[in-house]
Amino acid sequence: MAQHTYFTIDNIGLLIAACMVMAAAGISVLMKLDVAKSLVWSMARALIQLLVMGIILEYVIRQHNVWLVIALIGVMLVAAVQITMSRAKGVPKGLVPIVLLSLVVTMLIMISVVAELIVRPHPWYAPQVVVPLTGMMLGNTVSALALAMSRFFESMRERYEEIGTLLALGATAWEAARPSIISSIRLGMLPTIANLASAGIVTIPGMMSGQIIAGGNPVDAAKYQFVILTSFASLTLLAGTIILGLVYRRCFISYDRYRMPDPAPAPSIRHLIGKRASARRRAS
Amino acid sequence: MSPNPTPPAPHLFEATHVTAVMPQQGGDHTVFHDLSFHVDAGEVVDITGPSGAGKSTLLTAFARLNAHTTGIFTLDGKDSDSFTPQQWRVRVSYLPQTSTLIGETVADAIRLPWTLKIRQGERKQDPAGMLTDEHIRQLLDDMGCADIELGRDPRELSGGQSARIALARTILTKPQLLLADEVDAGLDEDNADKVADLLKRAASQGAGVVRIRHRAPDGRANRIMVLKDGVLSEQGKGRN
Repeated sequence: MAQHTYFTIDNIGLLIAACMVMAAAGISVLMKLDVAKSLVWSMARALIQLLVMGIILEYVIRQHNVWLVIALIGVMLVAAVQITMSRAKGVPKGLVPIVLLSLVVTMLIMISVVAELIVRPHPWYAPQVVVPLTGMMLGNTVSALALAMSRFFESMRERYEEIGTLLALGATAWEAARPSIISSIRLGMLPTIANLASAGIVTIPGMMSGQIIAGGNPVDAAKYQFVILTSFASLTLLAGTIILGLVYRRCFISYDRYRMPDPAPAPSIRHLIGKRASARRRAS
Repeated sequence: MSPNPTPPAPHLFEATHVTAVMPQQGGDHTVFHDLSFHVDAGEVVDITGPSGAGKSTLLTAFARLNAHTTGIFTLDGKDSDSFTPQQWRVRVSYLPQTSTLIGETVADAIRLPWTLKIRQGERKQDPAGMLTDEHIRQLLDDMGCADIELGRDPRELSGGQSARIALARTILTKPQLLLADEVDAGLDEDNADKVADLLKRAASQGAGVVRIRHRAPDGRANRIMVLKDGVLSEQGKGRN
């Protein structure tokens, strides 16, 4: 068990970390790398987001209330959908319900299998287990889904000649889309599989490191990490399969005719302003 | 309900009320409106006309591949809506201008249509068993493709060879109507002649053939239609 050899980070520690970012930003300004602004901005965001998450988690763990846990997971899900949609490039509008569905399904499986069958916490909703697990799984799945969806629509656009030929020879929409589906699921899985293969050799993964730093037994931490990595790999595959299985039809209209939907513009403030301006122009 | 008097026997393929409206910035653009067309078994019909007149659009509309076209299409008097999309396209087969050969070898590329569900049926046969290398070789030799080895990578083929393999692939699926979209474009006289022979042969075996052509008439067409300014009209009879 934990021997309470746990070293907390005080405000001076935070300040030193911030100084490192500032130093890196300074170097990037000198080298004209053009990343200084986003580096500092991201640091500020990360600091605030992490601290807020920490405070919320502390509160939820102390309250030990099942509804609070469910509410927190709900908020995390919504954020995960939003991040997936903003990261996926060139995808059409109206995919939010599908992304939400696949995240909910994988999350439910994750909680019931990983938390309840493998870890078996008491009570079953123990926030210090369920919430971090959900967060890690969502983080992993979100990047895989964003990658897979971007690749799928890109591939379907690139393959228009091949798709036309396949359809003309009598292929179904599924048969015409299959190579794109396979290649995009594969691409989405690559980081997860790479993580699995390199775990423990090159890197001590984040969760395992965290447990060890917090004074946990390294072998216990390794077991935890193994469970997490393998279950994330299968859940990522599941989420990708659900999404692409539901989404590929978007590239076809009635009578299995190929027609790529317009990519939804990236939701940005500039876009919102542009929309309003063009609406005003149309009105006048 | 049809405004046309019903002919004694239906044409092999008949298209009526064919309209193409392309979405464009600042309003939709009507390429053609309410066109009619028919072709009989064994007939070769050429469609010519200026670029951008909508010839390819018309052919993809016939195969019901085009997302921007509407119309009524019948095969042997049966409406296309009574077929599944796959059943329709197996019978009314569109061959695009750029030949896309999918597979590691020429033999794979030729077998592609038999890997699809529509031709697999309930038997779930191995495409290599349904179409052996020897069989493909013989068919290709018959079609004047003796110069193309089956084991070759399709990407290494010349333009003329790819065009002939793509055409052979479609002909081997025995469509009732073959829609050839300028498949002789960019080919030398010799290859263009071979392609024309292949199509004529398919017609002599009972298929209807529609060709989009930019070259001078080659004497193989029974009719030549001109699509210009949204109007499809017959130019004159070919020699055959």
